[in-house]
Amino acid sequence: MRIACPFCGERDSSEFSYLGDASPKRPNFAVDSPNSPAEIEDAVFDYVYLRANVAGDMREYWYHGGGCRSWLIAERNTVTHEFKSVTAAPGAGAALAGQAGE
Amino acid sequence: MPDFTWETQSPLRKALVVGRHGAGTGAAGVTLREVRDIALVQVMARRGQAAATAKAAKKLFGVEPPTSPKAVTAKTATLIWSGADQFLAFAPHSGDEFYAKLADTFAGIASLSDQSDGRCALHISGPRARDAMAKFCALDLHDTVFPVGAAASTAIDHTNASVWRSADEAGEAVYNLLVFTSFSDSLWHMIADAALEYGLDAGHVSAVQ
Amino acid sequence: MSGYTETQPLGRTATADGRASPDRSSAANQSHRLANGGLIDRQAPLQFSFDGKSMSGFAGDTLASALVANGVKLVARSFKYHRPRGIMTAGSEEPSALVEMRTGARKEANTRATTQELYDGLVASSQNRWPSLRRDFMAVNSLLSPIFVAGFYYKTFMWPAKFWEKLYEPAIRRAAGLGETAHLPDPDHYDKAWAHCDVLVVGSGATGLSAALAAGRAGARVILCEEDSHIGGRLLSDGGEIDGMPALDWLRRVTDELASLPNVRIMARTAVFGVYDGGDFGALERVNDHVPQPAEHQVRQRLWRIATRRSVVGAGAIERPIVFPGNDRPGVMMAAAVRTYINRFAAMPGKRIAVFTNNDDGWRTVEAVVRAGGEIAAVIDPRGKVPAAYRALADRSGLRVLPGQVVDVKGGVDGVRSITVATGSSTQNIDTDCLAASGGWNPNVALSSFHRGRPTWREDIAAFVPGVSPPGMIMAGAANGDLSLDACLRTGHAAGAMAAAETGAKGKSGNAAKAADEAFAIQPLWQVKAKGKAFVDFQHDVTASDVTLAQREGFESVEHLKRYTTLGMATDQGKNSNVTGLAIMADARGRSIAETGTTIYRPPYAPVAIGALAGHHRDQNFHAWRLTPSHHWAAERGAVFVDTGLWKRAQWFPLAGETDWLQSVKREVLAVRNGVGFCDVSTLGKVDVRGADAGTFLDRVYINGFSKLAVGKARYGLMLREDGIVMDDGTTSRLAEDHYLTTTTTAKAGPVTQHLEFCRQVLWPELDVQLSSATDQWAQFSIAGPRTRDLLINLVDPSEDVSNEGFPFMGVREVMLRGGMKARLFRISFSGEMAFEIAVPARYGEAMARNIMKAGEPFGVVPYGTEALGVMRIEKGHVAGPELNGMTTASDLGLGGMASKKKDFIGRIMAGREALMAPDRQVVVGIKPVDKARRLRSGAHVVPKGAIPGPETDQGYLTSVCFSPVLDHWIALALVERGRERIGEIVRICDPLRNEDYEAEICSPVFYDPEGGRQRA
Ligand SMILES: [Zn+2]
Repeated sequence: MRIACPFCGERDSSEFSYLGDASPKRPNFAVDSPNSPAEIEDAVFDYVYLRANVAGDMREYWYHGGGCRSWLIAERNTVTHEFKSVTAAPGAGAALAGQAGE
Repeated sequence: MPDFTWETQSPLRKALVVGRHGAGTGAAGVTLREVRDIALVQVMARRGQAAATAKAAKKLFGVEPPTSPKAVTAKTATLIWSGADQFLAFAPHSGDEFYAKLADTFAGIASLSDQSDGRCALHISGPRARDAMAKFCALDLHDTVFPVGAAASTAIDHTNASVWRSADEAGEAVYNLLVFTSFSDSLWHMIADAALEYGLDAGHVSAVQ
Repeated sequence: MSGYTETQPLGRTATADGRASPDRSSAANQSHRLANGGLIDRQAPLQFSFDGKSMSGFAGDTLASALVANGVKLVARSFKYHRPRGIMTAGSEEPSALVEMRTGARKEANTRATTQELYDGLVASSQNRWPSLRRDFMAVNSLLSPIFVAGFYYKTFMWPAKFWEKLYEPAIRRAAGLGETAHLPDPDHYDKAWAHCDVLVVGSGATGLSAALAAGRAGARVILCEEDSHIGGRLLSDGGEIDGMPALDWLRRVTDELASLPNVRIMARTAVFGVYDGGDFGALERVNDHVPQPAEHQVRQRLWRIATRRSVVGAGAIERPIVFPGNDRPGVMMAAAVRTYINRFAAMPGKRIAVFTNNDDGWRTVEAVVRAGGEIAAVIDPRGKVPAAYRALADRSGLRVLPGQVVDVKGGVDGVRSITVATGSSTQNIDTDCLAASGGWNPNVALSSFHRGRPTWREDIAAFVPGVSPPGMIMAGAANGDLSLDACLRTGHAAGAMAAAETGAKGKSGNAAKAADEAFAIQPLWQVKAKGKAFVDFQHDVTASDVTLAQREGFESVEHLKRYTTLGMATDQGKNSNVTGLAIMADARGRSIAETGTTIYRPPYAPVAIGALAGHHRDQNFHAWRLTPSHHWAAERGAVFVDTGLWKRAQWFPLAGETDWLQSVKREVLAVRNGVGFCDVSTLGKVDVRGADAGTFLDRVYINGFSKLAVGKARYGLMLREDGIVMDDGTTSRLAEDHYLTTTTTAKAGPVTQHLEFCRQVLWPELDVQLSSATDQWAQFSIAGPRTRDLLINLVDPSEDVSNEGFPFMGVREVMLRGGMKARLFRISFSGEMAFEIAVPARYGEAMARNIMKAGEPFGVVPYGTEALGVMRIEKGHVAGPELNGMTTASDLGLGGMASKKKDFIGRIMAGREALMAPDRQVVVGIKPVDKARRLRSGAHVVPKGAIPGPETDQGYLTSVCFSPVLDHWIALALVERGRERIGEIVRICDPLRNEDYEAEICSPVFYDPEGGRQRA
C-alpha cells in the first residue's frame, strides 16, 4: 500500500506508523487550574483512553518516520483501507505555516 | 606526555573491500563508492522563518534551498530537501569552517545540526544501478519520476536515508545516498549483496578534491 | 528497459515447421513423442531421471510433458489414501503430479511437474510412498477409507486429548502427507525487489497480450507478468487464426512489438500471487528454477512487490473436472491439457484416447488428437448431440460418439485400461489408456476476489465470473467469462486502452486483433452419480460422498464445507475443485449454485517459498545492525559483542587467561572502582533540541524542569506517557541558550524521537522548537573511576581546568584535547564513580579510544563493556530498562520527588490516579541473599516468608541481578509490594522455572556509596 505524504509524495506504507484517532483534542490544565480534580481527571482520561471503534471514514494520525518525519492527519476508510486525504499536522512545516499566520 | 594524534576512520573500514566483486569479469553492472571527507549540516528553519532562511541560503550559496523533494547543486554545496522547512547542506569537509559559516549565516533564523559524522555518503551508479536499488529501495526511480535533481527522504532496510539523483560526466545516473553512520556497515553489505549478480565495483572517493 | 529477465516468447521453435529431429536416438526412447510439431527444440535433447530411471526429453519440455512423452502415467501417491495418481493438467493448477525436485539441501517437495521446466540432469522423485511408487504399503489406507472421511480428525481423535501429541498426530503424519523437506539450510539466495508501473497486465495469453499492446502503444508504463516460461498462454496450445494469420505468427509479431516498446517490461516465469491494499501486487519470479542450481551470485527466486495504478487481469480460465468414479486414475486428464501436450509439446498422452465432455471446448481436443494422427476411442458427450462445428470432423473420422456418461474407470497403477459408459439404461466398456475429461471452464477470478469480492454466477457458461474487483483492476478475457478467442482479443485490448488512458497515457492504442468467434455451449454436469470413489479435490482426497456427508451432518455453508472436508485447503488451494465441490453441495441442499456462493478468496494464489519472503534477511542478515564508532577497535581487542536492539555493543573485553565471562566482568568493575575504565556509550539516543522555546518544550515533556537549567549544566530527566507511566529517562544538557542536547536510553531512541515530534508538530505547534537526531554524529565514551581526573589531565589541553572546582559535578562544556581536537565533556556518572562522558565526532571514535588508552596507561585504564556497566548501575541502584518496564510510575522507581509541582507536563494528571498512587504498589528496592553464596536470577518471584508461592501471595519479582565484585555476593534490584516500608525484612524468593527457592533480605537499592560522595569527588 502506498500513502501520499503531502511533503514527499506517494510512499510505501512501511515508511509510516499509525497512532490512531485524530479527533480527541488534548485538554490543557495548568497546575492552578480552577477546574475540580475529578473534572480534570475525567477529561484527560477520555483523551487518553476513550476511542470510537469506527467502521468507515476516520481521521487518524500517521507519522512519516521513514521519510520526512512529519506527523500527518489522514482520512482513511477503516473498512476498505482507502485513503481519502492526507494533510500535515499543524506543526509540520511550522516555518511556513507560522509565516502565513503571523 | 604521549603524542596524541587524531586519525579519522571510515565506518566502512571493514565492510568496504575495494575492487571487483560478484558475477562476471568485465565492466561491473554496479559501481558503489563511499564518499569520504564530507561536511553535512541540517538546516531547520525556525518558526515563521522559512522565507528568511531561503533568503539567507540564497545569499550564501547563490541558490534557494529546495522547498520540495529535490537537490540543488550550488558552487560550494549541494542543498538537499530533507523534510518540511529543512534541508541538508552537503559539502567537502573543511574542518569547522563550513559549519561556522552556516552558523553565522543562519543565526536566529534557522537551527543547525552538524551531521558531518552522523551520515555516511554513498554513490551508486552503473548500468544496473537501478536494478540493484530496486531490491532495497521502494522508490520509483524511473527517469520520468526521479530525474536528475530529484530527492527523497526514505526508508532503507527500516532506517532513514536521503537519496538524490545526479549525473556523472557522461550524463549517466548517479544515485547519492546518505545513511546513518551506525547503519552503514550493515547497509553496505546489503547493497553489495544486491549488486553481486550484476557485478560490483566497490571503492571510495574523497569529497575533497 | 532491458535485461530484466530472459524472455522467451516462443522458445527455440526449430522444429515448429515439422523438420525431422536429427537426434533419433533420444526421441526413439520417447514412446509417446510425436514425430513432428510442438514448441520443443529437438536439437536440444535433455537427460533427466524420475525415481532413479533415466529418460530423455527436449528443451521446451516441462517435467510433466517429458514424462508424458516417455509414456509415464504413474507419478504420485495421493495425500490420504495413497491412491496412484498421474498428471491431470498442464498448468499451475495441477493437483496430483507433485514431485520432489533435486536432492540434498536443494531438495524441494511438492513441486508441480507441470510447471517444472525440464533441464539437463534434472532429478525428480515421487513422494508420499514407501517403499516405492508402484508398491506403496500405505495404500492400505485406501481400505481404511471409512475412517478417513470428512471430519475424521474431529470425530476419531477427540479422546483422550493427551494421545494427540504422542500417538495420533505422528501416526497420521506418517500415513497422510505430501513431500518431505530437506531438513538442511537452503544454500540458494533469494531476493525481494520493488517494481513500478502504470498498468500491470497479468497473463500473456490473447487477452494479456492485447492489453499490454494497447496500453504500451498508448505510452503507459506496462509490466506484463506470465507465470509460464513462454509468453502466449493458451495460444501455445490451441493455435487458431488471428488477423488472418496463424496464431503463433501473430504471437511472434506482438511479442516483437512489445519488446520494441521501451515502456513495456515483460516478466516471464513470474506468477502474480496476490493483490494488496492500494493496488500493490505480489509476484514470484522463478529466476533459476529451470537450471540445476543458480550460477554463482545469481538468485533462485525473486519476490516482486509491484506498485501499479491500474491492472488488467487476463489470467484465463481453468478447466474443471467432472466427478465420476475412478476419475483420479493415472491417465484421466483434463481435455485441454491433452491438447496442450499434443500441440505444444508434441507428446501424445495415450495411444487410444477417449474424450468425456459436456461442452464444445472438449471437442477441440478431439480435433487435436485426430489432427496429430492419434486414435479416438470414443467421445462421450452427455448432451447427446455433436456440436455443429464438429459434425464434419465426426463424420470424416468416423468417430464413435456416445450420448452418455462415464460411470467407471478401470485400471491399475499403470493407469486407465478401460472405461464404462452408461447411455440411458445400457452400459458398455471401452478400452482406452487416456480419458480426456472436461466439465467446463472456471474463469480465474482469484485476483479479482482477494479484496473480499464475491464472484457472481453466470448461467450461460455455468461458471462464476468476477464480482466487484479491487479498485483499479479490470478483469478481461476468459478470466472475466469471455471465453472465445475473439472476445479475449477484443476485451483485452479495450481493458488495456482504458487502463492506460486512466493513468494519463495519451498515445493511440490502435485496433484490437480479430479472430473468428467460435461458439461455446455447455450443459452443466458436475457429478456422475454412480457407485465408487469419485474425487472432487484430488490433492486432499476429498470425494463427492465427503461433500454430501458434510451436508448431512449440517456443515452446509461453503465455509463450513471447506473446513470440515478440507476441500480446497491443499497447496493447490482448490483451483480445479472448489466450484465443483460447492456445486455438489448446492445440489445436495436443493439450492442453486448462485445461492450457495463461494468461500472467501485469499492470497497467495500460488505457493511462495519462505525463502523468497525472507529474501536477503536470513542468517547474519536477519536484521540490520548498528555499529558503534569504536566497534572495530573493540573487535581487534577481542571484545565479546551483544545485540542490544540493533546495536552490537562490547559486552566485555576478555584478557588472555580469562576463561569465564564473570571473571572478565569482575576485573573490569574493580578496575573502574579502584582506578579508571572507559566504555563506548555512543548508543544512547541523542536529540538536539533547538529553538527559542526549547526550554518550555522540555518543561512540558519531562516531569522536572529544564527552562531554568543554566547553560553549561546537565540534569537527569524523566518523561512519562500520557497515561502517567514512565516512558524514558536520560540526561539533558544545556549547550546554549537555545540549544539543549537530550539523551534517551539506547532502546527508546526511536520511540522517544517520534513522541517528541508528536508533541512538537501536533500538541504544541505554537512553540519554536526544532529537533534532530545527533546519535550517529558523536563517538561518546564514559570514563569512570577515581583516577578519571588524572587520565583527563593527560588527555585535555593543559589550558583546560578539570578540577572539581573548575569542572563540577553535572557540568558540561567544550574542551580542547591534546593534539588539537575539540570535544564535548559532560561530568555525569552512571557508575557512581567520579566520571565524565567525552564526545568527539564519530570519525574520531577509534582515535578517541586509542588516546584514552594512552592517557590512562599510567593508571591502568581498562575498556569495559555493557556487562560491567550494568553491574555498576545495579550496585548504584540506578534504574534501567528492566525497571522502566512500561508499568512503573515515577514514584515506583523512587523518583516521584523529581516531579515539578509548578508546571503541567505530559502524564501529570493520569499519574495522579488513585491506583497509580496506591500505597501497596510494587516499588524498586534492593535484594540480597541471606546465604551469600547464593546466585540470584532475574525473574524470580518475591513472596512473604512462610507463604506458599502463588498468585495470591506474589509480591513482585527480581528485575535486575548481578554479582557485585565490591560486595562479593549477588545482588538484585526488585519491584516489591510496599518495598520501601519493608527494608530489612526477610522474604522468600521462588523461581519455579529453575526450581529455586531461598531467602533474601529487602534492602536499599543503593548498594554502593549511598552518600554519593565518590561521583562528586
Ligand atoms: Zn513525508
